[in-house]
Amino acid sequence: MADNLETESGSKNKPKAKTAAEPAAKARRRRLALYIVLGLLALAVLILALTRPSGEKVVGEISQPLIDKAGSNYSQQYYNYLAFSIARGKNVRSAESDTHIGFAGRTFAVNAGAAAVAANVLCWLPALINGTRITISLTVTAVCAGVFLSVFLALGKISRRKLLSRICSGYIFFFRGTPLLMQLFFIYYGLPQISPALAINNKFLAAFVTFTLNSAAYCAEIIRAAIQSIDKGQFEASRALGMSYGQTMRLVVIPQSIRRLIPPVANEFIMVLKDASLVSIIALTDLTFQTRNISSSSASALVYVPAMIIYLIITAIFTYIFNRMEKRFSIYT
Amino acid sequence: MALIRTEKVCKNFGELSVLTDIDVAVEPKEVVCIIGPSGAGKSTFLRSLNQLERITSGKIYIDEKLFLHRENNVTVFQQNSAEYKRLLLEMGMVFQSFNLFPHRTALQNIILAPVNVQKKARAQAEEEARELLAKVGLSEKADEYPARLSGGQQQRLAIARALAMQPKIMLFDEPTSALDPELVGEVLQVMKQLAESGMTMLVVTHEMGFARDVADRIIFMCDGMVAEEGEPSELFTNPKNPRTKQFLNSIL
Repeated sequence: MADNLETESGSKNKPKAKTAAEPAAKARRRRLALYIVLGLLALAVLILALTRPSGEKVVGEISQPLIDKAGSNYSQQYYNYLAFSIARGKNVRSAESDTHIGFAGRTFAVNAGAAAVAANVLCWLPALINGTRITISLTVTAVCAGVFLSVFLALGKISRRKLLSRICSGYIFFFRGTPLLMQLFFIYYGLPQISPALAINNKFLAAFVTFTLNSAAYCAEIIRAAIQSIDKGQFEASRALGMSYGQTMRLVVIPQSIRRLIPPVANEFIMVLKDASLVSIIALTDLTFQTRNISSSSASALVYVPAMIIYLIITAIFTYIFNRMEKRFSIYT
Repeated sequence: MALIRTEKVCKNFGELSVLTDIDVAVEPKEVVCIIGPSGAGKSTFLRSLNQLERITSGKIYIDEKLFLHRENNVTVFQQNSAEYKRLLLEMGMVFQSFNLFPHRTALQNIILAPVNVQKKARAQAEEEARELLAKVGLSEKADEYPARLSGGQQQRLAIARALAMQPKIMLFDEPTSALDPELVGEVLQVMKQLAESGMTMLVVTHEMGFARDVADRIIFMCDGMVAEEGEPSELFTNPKNPRTKQFLNSIL
């Protein structure tokens, strides 16, 4: 009888397979379109790169009167980006400047309007990218270490051992209940005053430690909620099969909670990414620090626009990665 | 010699008394069905045998060895931890809600405990798992995740998973209550085969047909007590306790 039902449900599955084939074909067409677009883009970049103006040629365009008038107070910078070249001469004392953009082999003078803004943004990019590198590496390392630490915190908090549970709860209460900025100040400026042995002189390391400790507290709550959302029957089945508490957690509960963890951890990641801007206050040269630096030295608050766009791009990329991870972990539902 | 025997098992949830003085013994190769109205404490009794619930007082013997003795919510005697674990694993449990591990395939569900608890070699565990899958008619589904299986298939897989630990007695806690009516038959079929193969079984069920056909003995529970006990032919046709009569009238 059991075998009968077996074959019956087998035949039921066939029409399902047919309908599943259709979206697959659609996805293949979409992927093909994507490859074509990417190919065309690559071709355009290649053509632009081949026709790019040399830096020297653009520098040569800076007006001689400006150079003459400025004399020794004259500074010159230029940047090359594929088909773009920017050259900028500046009279340091009077801040009079002359900017030229080279594009696809031709050179334009740009001292006003949208083109001048574009030239500015391109000049700022190297510093912004350096800052971005620090922001991303701080966020990624701190969240990874925080998640790792938080598993133990969460298990400690739901543990039946009263003392352990109290310690973990206290830790979480402290780090969620005080401002991140104060924690950062305390770890960077306060610890050395307690004992020189506790001093963390590397700014990046101090920020990493603070953010790890802080996001561990937040992630611990996320993980605790995910573990406690697992059906009680899973614990009972594991116990009935003779598994210990540790085995139940390791083999049954935690693997199942990973999928439920991903959306809130992604959220936490994005929060940390933005909170990482606080490290600019201890003068760690992250994206926010670089932006403020440029803003005050060039007296242009417009630099916040490209900086925010960079934040958006990072957020978009990591959101995409987390979405993919979530899909990968939901194969069994 | 009884495989499982209880003496004056009581279970209270606070003031509420759920089980009162339950004396039950299950002999090897015997199939015992526990029937009764809902709230009678049938499931609680089964769960307190394999320690998913702690009894308030009473004694539980496994293989005629005292396994647990408690009085007033205090443990008077309990086997040492190694022996406790060994005796506990003589009972396999099948739940009403299957409780399969959704993140593991059918085969992985079965081998998880043998590999990690009994420390069996993976290859050997897999071979045995495939035999068990064949036994419950799921050979084709070895690599499917539970979510892809029908309710009946899931429950059959749960039975195979419990059997993989080679228990001496199988406890079934309303194994067909969560199933669509047309899927009940396949699970009962597997349970019947299991009974015929000589497995000792203690089954809490509402399937009177199954109880009548397969059980060697029926226990009728009511208000946390064993109200009547007897062979199915006797108990179904000629119940002595008025509560049994009333219950059978209401469902047949």
